[in-house]
Amino acid sequence: MPVLDVGLPAHVSVHKSGGRDLWSEPMAAAPEDPVAAAWACLHEVLDPEIPISLVDLGLIYGVAVENGVVRVDLTFTATACPCMEFIREDVTDRLSQESWVQSVDIHEVWDPSWTTDRITEEGRALLRTLGVGVA
Amino acid sequence: MSVPLQPADLDDTLRADVRRLLLALADTKRILGIRYSDWLLGAPSLEAGIAASGMAQDEWGHARLLYALLKDFGEDPVPVEHDREPEAYVSCDALDVPAEDWADVVALIAVVDSALTVVLEAFSEGRYAPAGARAGKMIAEEAFHGDMARAWVRSLAGGTSESRARIADACNSRLPRTLAWMAPDDDAAARLAEAGIMPTTDELLERFADRHANMFAAAGVQVPAPNREGWDAARGRGPGHPGLEAVERARGDLNRELFVE
Repeated sequence: MPVLDVGLPAHVSVHKSGGRDLWSEPMAAAPEDPVAAAWACLHEVLDPEIPISLVDLGLIYGVAVENGVVRVDLTFTATACPCMEFIREDVTDRLSQESWVQSVDIHEVWDPSWTTDRITEEGRALLRTLGVGVA
Repeated sequence: MSVPLQPADLDDTLRADVRRLLLALADTKRILGIRYSDWLLGAPSLEAGIAASGMAQDEWGHARLLYALLKDFGEDPVPVEHDREPEAYVSCDALDVPAEDWADVVALIAVVDSALTVVLEAFSEGRYAPAGARAGKMIAEEAFHGDMARAWVRSLAGGTSESRARIADACNSRLPRTLAWMAPDDDAAARLAEAGIMPTTDELLERFADRHANMFAAAGVQVPAPNREGWDAARGRGPGHPGLEAVERARGDLNRELFVE
């Protein structure tokens, strides 16, 4: 993929769907805290349109792990989000590359509604570097 | 506070009533999106066309979420979205024909879109739990449609005598049948009210008038009584149906070979 050199943060120029270029290698062993590990995996998945993490964007409402099945409660920024399938696929693929994950169960959640209030401070700081201000 | 109702709590009759309501909302949003999409280009300004584009996408996003609620009844929403004939659509009668001009588009936003939101809000406040869990985001997105309606009704009403007359005519022609669709006065509606899933017919009409009478008054329009002539209780709408061309677009007929769902 061609790398753009227009002064953007480094991770932007290499961005592909879900930020796959930046995903860590699979863990060597099963984690002691699989829920925390799943959150860490999801933190690496970027929104397809704005290159910040789904976690920092506030789209992940909850994570649970039981017998290798990772349940992800996921929302979207808009009901007509054109990237729903990309996001579902990226979440599934990132988690599935871990040997301790048997399957991924995504639950679409709309309550409470997503608003910009859900963006983390880290996400806001990153958006500012991209020239996007969030009140 | 009344106890929420889950899909499994409904008997067959009430389940059919909720299904009719879901389809009425989803089909109306699907056809309304098409009517908006006709004006992505050709609106009075580029900005107005962009707004029409955004609203069209919102309506289709909402329709998708609403059709998906049929899964709670064990029903596959895919054939409902892609295989029905025009006669099976429960969309609001006022959408059966395309908008004639921009004033007519504004009337669709002010009348039909506003009525949709009154129904959706009422549904989300009622006892049917899945509606409450999905409607919040839709209602939040609809706030912008309301702003658009008020701004354009005011603009046309305050323009020339011709524009004022045109927006008044467009609203007057869309309102009576839309109100009948929004607030049915039949057995199914009575059962939904009895179950606490929806307000009564009169309450729905009052909500619409309370919220929107001032907007219409700006154009010299009074909220009329519903026109219930020819009401089809089995479908939950008036006589007729949307045209085949709109339904073909709604079903995605031209892209049928490309379906990947």
